[in-house]
Amino acid sequence: MFVHLQGPYSFLLGRFTLAAIPYNNAIIQFAFAFTAIAALLVIGPVLYFRKIPYLFREWFTTVDHKKIGVMYIILGLVMMLRGFVDGLMIRTQQVMADGPHSPGFLEAAHGYLPPSHFDQIYSSHGTLMIIFAATPILTGLGNIIVPLQIGARDMAFPTLNAISLWLTAVGAALIMVSLFVGDFSAAGWVGLIPLTELDFSPSTGVDYWMWAIQISSVGTTLNAINVIATIVTMRAPGMRWDRLPIFTWTTLSTSIIGLTSFPILGVALALLGADRYLGTHFFTAGMGGNLMLYTNLFWIWGHPEVYFLVLPAFGIISEVIPAFSEKPLFGYITMVAATFAIAGISWTVWLHHFFTMGAGPLVNSFFSVATMVVGIPTGVKVFNWMFTLYRGRLTFATPMLWAVGGLFLLLIGGLTGMMLAIPAINYTVHNSVFVIAHFHCMVLLIVYAAFAAVSFWFPKVFGFRLDETTGKLFFWSFSAGTILVFTAMFGLGFMGETRRLDYLFNTQWWPALVIEEIGIGFYCLSLLMFFVMLFVSIRDRVKNAATADPWGTARTLEWLTHSPVPFYNFAVTPHVNSRDELAWRYANNLASTVPDHFEEIHMPRNTPVPIIIGALAFGFGFGLIWRIWWLTALSLLGIIAVVIYRSFARDKGYHLSAEVMTQLEREPPLGVVSESQYLSEPPLGASGARPLGHAGAH
Amino acid sequence: MKFRSLLFLAIIPLLSGCSADTFRLFNPVGAVGSVEWRFTVIDVGVMLLIILPTTVMIAVFVWRYRKSRNAEYDPSWSHSLGLELMMWGIPFLTVIFLGYASYRSTMLVNPYNPAAINYTDPANPPLQVDVITTDWQWVFIYPSLGIATVDDLVVPAGRPIKFWLTSTSVTNDFYIPEVAPMIDVMPGMRTMDGFQVNHPGHYEGFSADFSGAGFSWMQFSTRILAKPDFDKWVAATQGSPNQLSYAAFTKLAEPTVNVGAKPAYFSHADAGLFMQVYNAARAGTVYAIPEQLNIVTSPVDYTQVKNGTN
Repeated sequence: MFVHLQGPYSFLLGRFTLAAIPYNNAIIQFAFAFTAIAALLVIGPVLYFRKIPYLFREWFTTVDHKKIGVMYIILGLVMMLRGFVDGLMIRTQQVMADGPHSPGFLEAAHGYLPPSHFDQIYSSHGTLMIIFAATPILTGLGNIIVPLQIGARDMAFPTLNAISLWLTAVGAALIMVSLFVGDFSAAGWVGLIPLTELDFSPSTGVDYWMWAIQISSVGTTLNAINVIATIVTMRAPGMRWDRLPIFTWTTLSTSIIGLTSFPILGVALALLGADRYLGTHFFTAGMGGNLMLYTNLFWIWGHPEVYFLVLPAFGIISEVIPAFSEKPLFGYITMVAATFAIAGISWTVWLHHFFTMGAGPLVNSFFSVATMVVGIPTGVKVFNWMFTLYRGRLTFATPMLWAVGGLFLLLIGGLTGMMLAIPAINYTVHNSVFVIAHFHCMVLLIVYAAFAAVSFWFPKVFGFRLDETTGKLFFWSFSAGTILVFTAMFGLGFMGETRRLDYLFNTQWWPALVIEEIGIGFYCLSLLMFFVMLFVSIRDRVKNAATADPWGTARTLEWLTHSPVPFYNFAVTPHVNSRDELAWRYANNLASTVPDHFEEIHMPRNTPVPIIIGALAFGFGFGLIWRIWWLTALSLLGIIAVVIYRSFARDKGYHLSAEVMTQLEREPPLGVVSESQYLSEPPLGASGARPLGHAGAH
Repeated sequence: MKFRSLLFLAIIPLLSGCSADTFRLFNPVGAVGSVEWRFTVIDVGVMLLIILPTTVMIAVFVWRYRKSRNAEYDPSWSHSLGLELMMWGIPFLTVIFLGYASYRSTMLVNPYNPAAINYTDPANPPLQVDVITTDWQWVFIYPSLGIATVDDLVVPAGRPIKFWLTSTSVTNDFYIPEVAPMIDVMPGMRTMDGFQVNHPGHYEGFSADFSGAGFSWMQFSTRILAKPDFDKWVAATQGSPNQLSYAAFTKLAEPTVNVGAKPAYFSHADAGLFMQVYNAARAGTVYAIPEQLNIVTSPVDYTQVKNGTN
């Protein structure tokens, strides 16, 4: 239909045939075994302990922003694990395939990965890490923390929030399926044009990449709308704009970026889809198409996306450093100004991703200077953090280590970024691994901030702290890996090594490649440490049980309620008196005030609608990828029907009376408890923590 | 290579990894490359004036204000107008300076008309070389000499070289680390680049922008010869029995992995071959990739099977 497809086609199965399953590939067999064992390890106990009804009731149908956030983060961590394995395979291939005499294993001429396989791996590494690891983890953190920081009960649109999550999960699921059914894109995470056109990528790989991103980015856009609405309309009394915590500020700016930039990606991918499915010529070289149009559109989204990720990371660092310096953040107003300056400028720099396109020197100069201007507010942020440390009382708990480690990465990333911003320098290193090392510094800054956030807020969500000793071992082994891999990679950039090479023709690069591989060894060690940390932390959870403020020096509103946070967040909506509310209450001896009365509160009810929409979206995407039109049409009709049904539902949520609240707060729930559990059985256990809440302001 | 020697060689980087010529970008040759390197040094130098003190200060603060040291503690200090003006002002001034440096250097090395190279000297006119990338080879055409090569760029020392670049299929990136800055090579579009190197030398060029399964084998040798040697080489090439008509070119442009970048020479290339290829791409000519090339194990095997070699 419309375009010429290579290979067989049938109405029932579309392009799918049994040959699409690479069952005879040793690496895929191994990956399948690994995934199957991991899945059994998760699903087995769930079945054995008959937890499916629990999972469905408590998690899959939840609209609780904290649980949705936790699921976002788990999804992101799992995808990060797969992205890391991709990175490990890339590094191992390159160190094995250097020089014409390097041996070949399995079916490869050099190394162990033939190009068609290697190209899929580097493409999925980038796609997974940016869109399915970093984005969900930061979205999840925003989901958990923002409503708590502003004293809200939930997000503005709880059901929409769950829909966002499941759409993101569908994208990730499609990429996992591409591992075993068909292939993945071999044209880079950016979708190198015109390589992604049907003539040059005839298999379903690019379709997997395209629809996975397309579906998940709908989720991300909806989430951005939700976050903006939440922050603008649902702040607790007294939470004036000049008291908004920095993390909430950065999440707001990031959501504005997300709302305005993700639709551009959607359009770019839709036009590419038109080329691939309808035979149009938007981005082809011939017939009036313009391939640089795609590149422009992609980076008009792609560059703001970088700040979409890095701004919340800056927000996290801005929360962690004051908490462990026992001082307010230096220069709050300049920090907010710098955040929005970065967000604004992020719109005007996209062309620096392709200075080598051949644009005129004035165009390149404009984008060069615009890019450098980003360095001003970013520099301001670094100075602010530096002066927050000055005359502080620093303690180096794990979150603080990650935050300070991130600062050094930002300095190196900034130095190399200012080099790349100058076209004359960029011409020599564009598309070399120098660029890879630079943006990995920035992306690792995001990862460092994410780990800082996970260890910082973990006790708030789960009620116990992560183990410090193994947490620090995790940090140091991870940092050793970072230093080794990326120092060597900067060197390789100056040696002229370019990106995405399956086979390396220059044996002078080999020593540095070996250093990178050793660094990967440290990353593997850190992965082990991560799991040990989880195991030790869960084993010692009673010993490490958290109070409302487990760090003792936290400053913002979210630390005022119980750990773990009950499903209604705050028993009584707190009145905010200060920028660092908890620090203010400590200073005024109000942090442990029992509210003088409870009020009836209103909560949203769980619903299976989001996960049903997710399942239908999976069918929609899978049908499009394999061109199984009946499946696509049925899924789309199903989605429309469910949305219409939901629009007419008269579910207004439910109320918890003041008496119920009194009882709940007398025996605060232990462990992650939600409304359905409460409604079906009485609250469990009791903790020593006393209810906090309505204080001051009288 | 045996596994034990792999382990042994792991310590080599400390000994040999730092030899000067390994770091190609530190040793630019030619007018354009040296300008780029000069501005790299300026940029890094200026940035280090800010980055180094900041790094040192963060390290000092982290060490000095640890809780266990009981150093001065000022729990309320969070604002200082003077400091905040400085932290906006210093980066601002730096960006003004580097912005000017960026503009200046961009003009100097503008690939379309680098001010660092004199194209207009009648005594030393530029040599035009047309570059066409296919999947996955480089074709160099010398319109003024009527000759062409595959995967072997040979140019005279001391003379400005001017490139026109286009592609038959997908985007590549023309790159000779020491000599020529990167420039995209796109189908249906013409980009330009140029360099001038005054001393003979031998360098390695390759594609820097991923172009599909055969991308890793897309190298070409770059030989800069003294004038007499270049003339000898031209004469020898003009004696080659091969000719590059458009019809022959379309065969050459079929997806092929040229392992080891084995060169080929043509005594005659169609006049205007470059524009023919460019116009064909704009009119919709594509050299499509067969699906089995994406799925079979190695494009090297594929090419060898297709060509009946191996």
